[in-house]
Parts: sequence; C-alpha cells; structure tokens
Amino acid sequence: MAFGLRWAGTGVFCATEIRVQFHEWLAILTGTLVQAVLLIFVWVLARDILPIALIGALVYSVFLIGQRVLNEAAYVRIDHKLNELYHASPMSPEAYFLGMSTGIFLAYLPPILVIAVVTIVVAPFGLLPWGVLIACLLAVWSVSASLGYFISTLFKDMKTIWPYSSLITNLLGIVPPVFYPLHLVPEGWRWLALVLPTSSATALVNGAAGLEVLSGEDVLLAGGSLAVEAIALFIFGIYWARRAAREA
Amino acid sequence: MTSPLWRGKEGGSGGARPRTSSSYKNDATALRTRAIYAAFRLRRRVSELALEAEDVRKTYHGRSGPAVEALRGISMALGKGERVALLGRNGAGKTTFLRIASTLLAPSAGRVEVFGLNVTRNPEQVRPLIAVVPQEGKPFFHLTPREQIYAYLRARGIDREIAKARTEQALTQMDLEEVSDRLCITLSGGQKQRAMVATVIATEAPLLFLDEPTIGMDPFARRRVWESLRRLTRSGSTILLTTHYLDEAEALSQRLYILEEGRVLVAGTAEELKHQVGGTLRVTIADGGRLRDAFASFGTCVREAESLHVITGPERINEIMALAMREKVSATVGPVTLEEAFLRAVGRSIDEE
Repeated sequence: MAFGLRWAGTGVFCATEIRVQFHEWLAILTGTLVQAVLLIFVWVLARDILPIALIGALVYSVFLIGQRVLNEAAYVRIDHKLNELYHASPMSPEAYFLGMSTGIFLAYLPPILVIAVVTIVVAPFGLLPWGVLIACLLAVWSVSASLGYFISTLFKDMKTIWPYSSLITNLLGIVPPVFYPLHLVPEGWRWLALVLPTSSATALVNGAAGLEVLSGEDVLLAGGSLAVEAIALFIFGIYWARRAAREA
Repeated sequence: MTSPLWRGKEGGSGGARPRTSSSYKNDATALRTRAIYAAFRLRRRVSELALEAEDVRKTYHGRSGPAVEALRGISMALGKGERVALLGRNGAGKTTFLRIASTLLAPSAGRVEVFGLNVTRNPEQVRPLIAVVPQEGKPFFHLTPREQIYAYLRARGIDREIAKARTEQALTQMDLEEVSDRLCITLSGGQKQRAMVATVIATEAPLLFLDEPTIGMDPFARRRVWESLRRLTRSGSTILLTTHYLDEAEALSQRLYILEEGRVLVAGTAEELKHQVGGTLRVTIADGGRLRDAFASFGTCVREAESLHVITGPERINEIMALAMREKVSATVGPVTLEEAFLRAVGRSIDEE
C-alpha cells in the first residue's frame, strides 16, 4: 500500500478527537493543575529558578499528553469498542494512532500556550531557545504518545491501567529534574537525567536559554537520547498500532 | 454553532441518495473496492462468494489456567447479497468467528476469505470491503449521532457530499432525526445502539458484520433495523450477523448457522431447521416434565424447566389433548418455531447458561 494511503483518515480522526476532547474542557483545564501548583511552590520557595520551572511546566504538560492518549485509547477500546469499528475499515491503524495522538495534543494545546505566554513574560528568551523548545516538545510528545498508546493496548480493564498511567507520569515527569535545575542532581546520577526524555528536553532548553551550563558531552547525550527515543518510539508506536489492530 | 465536524444539512445534497454510478465516481471506498475487484477479475480469481470459511479454529492461551478452544473447525459460505445469522448461546463462538472474519482476530488454524481475499494474509485489502458493528459497541459519547456517522464515513475516505447524504439517510432509516444533534451521552441505550448500526449501514460496505445489532432496542426499532438491513442486501451488500433473538434470526436471515461450543451444529433456512424437528406443531404441557413417558409416543419430547414440549403433527392433536385432560394438566398448541429447532439441535434453550 502506498505511503500516502496509510495516513488517509488521520486528519478526520484528529478532528473527531478534538471535538470529543473539547467536551471535557474541565479535564483540559485541570490538566495544568499540577504544573500550576508546582509553579506556585517554586515562586514562593525559590523564585530564582522560576524560568526553569516554567520550561519544566511546558515539557511536563506535553508529556501529560501521553497519559491522555493512554486513557483515551484504552477507554475507546475497552468501553466503547470503537477501535474495532475503525480497524475493520480502510483507515489504517497508524492513522488511528496518529489521529488520536495529534487530536489530543491539539485539544490540550490552549493551556500549554497560556504557560508559554507566562514564560515569555517572566523570562524572555531569544529565538534559538524557542526553536529548541518547540523541537524538544515535539520529541516529548512523540515519546509520550507512543508510550501511552502502547500501554493502553496491554490491559483489558480501565482500573488496571490507572496506576500505571500515574506511575509513569510521576516517575518521568516529577521525579527527574524537570521543575528544578539539573545541577541539583548528584553528579553520579546526572547521566540518567540526561537520558530520560523529559529531563533531557528541559536540560537542552535550559542550556539553550542560558539558564544552565551544559558541557558538550551533556548536550550530545541529552540531544542524542531524546532524538533516538522520539524516532524509535514513534516507529515502534506505528508498528504496535498495526500489530494491535488484530489480536493474536 | 459550527463544530470542527459537520453539524447539519446545510450545503449537503439533502436526503437519501441512491448508489448511482455517478456517486461512485467520487466515492474513494467504492473506487478502491472496484479496483480490487478489477484486479482480481483480470487474474480470473473473482469469487462468487462474499465469505468462505474453512475449518477455522481458535484457541485462547491464557496466562493462567488451561487453553480455551473457542472455535473447533467452523466452515461456512455466504453468497453475495445474502443475510446470514449465527445463532448460539453465550460462549458458542459467534463473536470469535465474526472477529476473525473481520480481520480483528487471528485464527489459530483454518482459512477465511472475503471476496476471494484471505483475511489473514491480506487484511489491508479486505478492510475497505467490510464494516463491523462490534458487540456492546458504543458511539463516541461526546459526538452527536450525525457527527459520529459523518466522521466515520469521512475516515473511511468517502467523499464529503456523499458522506453527508448517507448520514442523513442513515439517521432517517434508524429514526434518529429527532436526536441527531444531541450528544450521544444523553441518548438511551437503544438510541446509542441505533447510532452504532446507523454508522455502519451508512458505509454501504459490500460485507457487513453485525454482532448483536439490535441488543437493547425496543421492538419497533428492531423492525426498523431489519428493514434497513433487508434494503442493504437488496442493493447488493452481504450481511453476517449474530443474534440471541430467535425471532430476529427467523425474520431477518435467509440462512442460519446454529453454533455450540465452537462448532456448527446445523445450518439451513429457518424452514429447513424447523422441518428437522420432526413435526409442524408444538404442544406445550405446563408442569408436564413428570409426564414425559406418557407423551413420548406422540412425537419428539423436549423438556424445558418444568414444561414439556411435544413436537407432533396435526393428526395426533386430539389424542394429546385428551391425555392432557385426563392428567389434568394444561396444554397449548402452536406452530413449531425456531426455538424447538434450537432446542433439538443444541439440547438446551438459547438463554440457558
């Protein structure tokens, strides 16, 4: 099948998902609650790292898209069986995966843009850091959406999924240096922070914005890891979407 | 308010549009379908069958516990334009077979072909030719029925104008016009199910799989679905459905397959199955289970709970009623139904767990 044909239907399914998500506007708003609370803590306790925390809030917000994809894909599959309606149709499984992931990303974009505006006001950066930020956010979206979709296909019950969803979000979004600077991480563990998708993204943006000092090796490790993870997981996501379209 | 999806009839061609050759010109799905047919015609391998299954087996290997044999060698064939029902109790294998045939589940062994295309080897070529109403499927709760149908047709690659026309047609056929702009979450269970059926019938796919399509619907809505499905097969589509409702199987399907424990027990038309029962009349004797021996000479006796059904011919009715009066039990006479055919084939009622 031609490459173009495999993506046919992505746009329509993306629009469908945006429509569905916009009805849950409260969930979209509360999606920024954790970030807002953490930002308030930082503002009260350590105002000097507020720009770093704001970049962290942007990265974390995009990383949360993966959790939304996980929950939505699982809900649509387990509760509505709509995956069967779409998989037994000319629309390819990868168009289903990409349409859903993009739709959720776009639906959750407005609060992310609000944080971006606050960041512009609090810490005005040049064009390069913004370019790095956008590239990193897209990479984080690719990682989290692919991971979320993959996990969503592993379980047969929504209740089983919730703890995993929460675990991954906290382990990759809160624990590593996303809302705080990389230099606070003990030297021996810093490599791990530069390998994880969320903290590598924040480190790269912070480095580009001059908020943190990164060595050449640090940039290489963080940039290389993030790029490899984003590409590899996206390809895996497509492979898995095709595989999951037919149960073994 | 205009939604990202289409919300109303504006700009559309209005009501129902028949499947004319001109409408096909803009219909991506139909074009693909015709391209696949054309390719196979060239190779002289066009199948006259819409679906052909041979010795299909499915075994589920659980992480814990023994393996479960859901299908133990199912074979069947559906001609183009046929309406065929799979009838069976819970766990008989109906849904498993439907999911295999619709490319959603891999078989453990055997072969299923849709219009001559192997569903295991060529799922991408099969999928444009089929549409599925999943068992217990629900529409997107935060879409209206109109949006749900239209969005699905567009996702299948159907042209905008044709999708609008077919959406309106499906809403009318399923009697959903009044609620067409209400969010599906606010609809009753039966209305949600009708929205699912409308979504699938609007595709006008050459082969439709419907898993319990009328579950939760009131009798009027069920009849509307039946009429829509009959209309679809008249225009050339083929339908394979599963059902628990014996009256639905009898009224709707041209042929039936009765499944039990992953096997086809009997197949044929409803009339053929009823003939196999061994009589044309059924005498139901309330509290007659204990009198089985006394009635055994009149015909086939089938016990159901405390009742006894005697399948017989009209020439024995007077004798049976006389015996019932002597035994002081009430007896009612009626024509043999599919229920008796099912009881005879399976040995248990369709509702029995």
